[in-house]
Amino acid sequence: MMLSESAVDRHIVERWISWTLRIGVWGSATLMALGLVLAWFSSGTLRLPSENPRPADVLHSLLSGSLDPVMLMFAGLLFLMLTPFLRVLTAAVGFAAEKDRTFVIVALVVFAMLLAELVFSLQ
Amino acid sequence: MSVDSFFLLIGGGVVTGTLGAMLGLGGGVFLTPFLVLVFNLPMHQAIATSILAVIATSSAGAAMNVERRIVNLRLGMTLEVATVIGAIFGGLTANVLSGEVLSRAFAVLLLCVSFMMLWRMKHSRGISTPIEAGAFPASFKDEAAGEVVSYSVARVPWVMGVSLIAGNISGLLGVGGGIFKVPAMNLISGMPLKAATATSNFMIGVTAAASAFIYFAHGHLNPLIASPAVLGVLMGSFLGVRINRRIKGASLTWIFAAVLFVISLKMFWR
Repeated sequence: MMLSESAVDRHIVERWISWTLRIGVWGSATLMALGLVLAWFSSGTLRLPSENPRPADVLHSLLSGSLDPVMLMFAGLLFLMLTPFLRVLTAAVGFAAEKDRTFVIVALVVFAMLLAELVFSLQ
Repeated sequence: MSVDSFFLLIGGGVVTGTLGAMLGLGGGVFLTPFLVLVFNLPMHQAIATSILAVIATSSAGAAMNVERRIVNLRLGMTLEVATVIGAIFGGLTANVLSGEVLSRAFAVLLLCVSFMMLWRMKHSRGISTPIEAGAFPASFKDEAAGEVVSYSVARVPWVMGVSLIAGNISGLLGVGGGIFKVPAMNLISGMPLKAATATSNFMIGVTAAASAFIYFAHGHLNPLIASPAVLGVLMGSFLGVRINRRIKGASLTWIFAAVLFVISLKMFWR
């Protein structure tokens, strides 16, 4: 049975949000689990860096193919922390696709507050 | 830190995540006392870890509930404006308070939660008459009842006020705050309990993220502690939802309300 175009598009935002959350949870869990497994195989004790690395350092470590267990765990945690940000941004885009201007604005207000907190915290 | 400690953290996460999901309290209520009382973790680090666990369990649950359309998406996004403001101030406040003050505040919260559990048990069916002339009209299919439930939401500013307080508690103490939001959405706004629970859980991830980077920036997030604990809580939450479908009863609620009461006393006088 063919669905009408409006029926197909009506719940686009729900599907996008659901997939964003799934990718965020399972992506971050995979990174953390990989870090834990590598930590398990590395003998002895694990030491933390003297201070938390900057998110850019974690990303650089990840992209350079480094399999440092602590950096992988940090990457998983940061990905998890950023998942709600991506969820709100996805909602804004989804509402825009549904032409619901009011909730595009609401989503962008929430995103702006989250972003302000992120920037303020990392300064 | 020894690698063997990971097993204790994963195990603790599984147990606290299972209990949180079984009792509808989320992972943070049991995880923070476990980390503080069993693992001797400083209060700020325990809260930061709990916030991460809350993001994980909320996101995993919301992914299913959004797809099933049980979440009132537009109401949730609107209330997030209030919860995010509350959480940011909660996170900032927590980082100027001492661990001892936070520990005592958490003890008071646990006391409130144990009373709320008993109160909720007596009002477990919630209100059943849908409000027709409210805002954010929505409907969802109640699979247990086999019917489509339509409703709308009354007195939104009141629920925004409760959401602001719940967000503040979340940022301050690392819990989801659903125990306060769900009754408010049901009793004040007339939302069906299933929709209220799913919508509250949907908001919790964003609320927790609003304070997560504040704790991260203050160096309270230890990946060697948080990673195994979060993975454990995530596994436990899936397990808890499955067990919750089989075990329901007043005796269980009474037992865990008493357990929370004892933990509350330990957190207060530790």
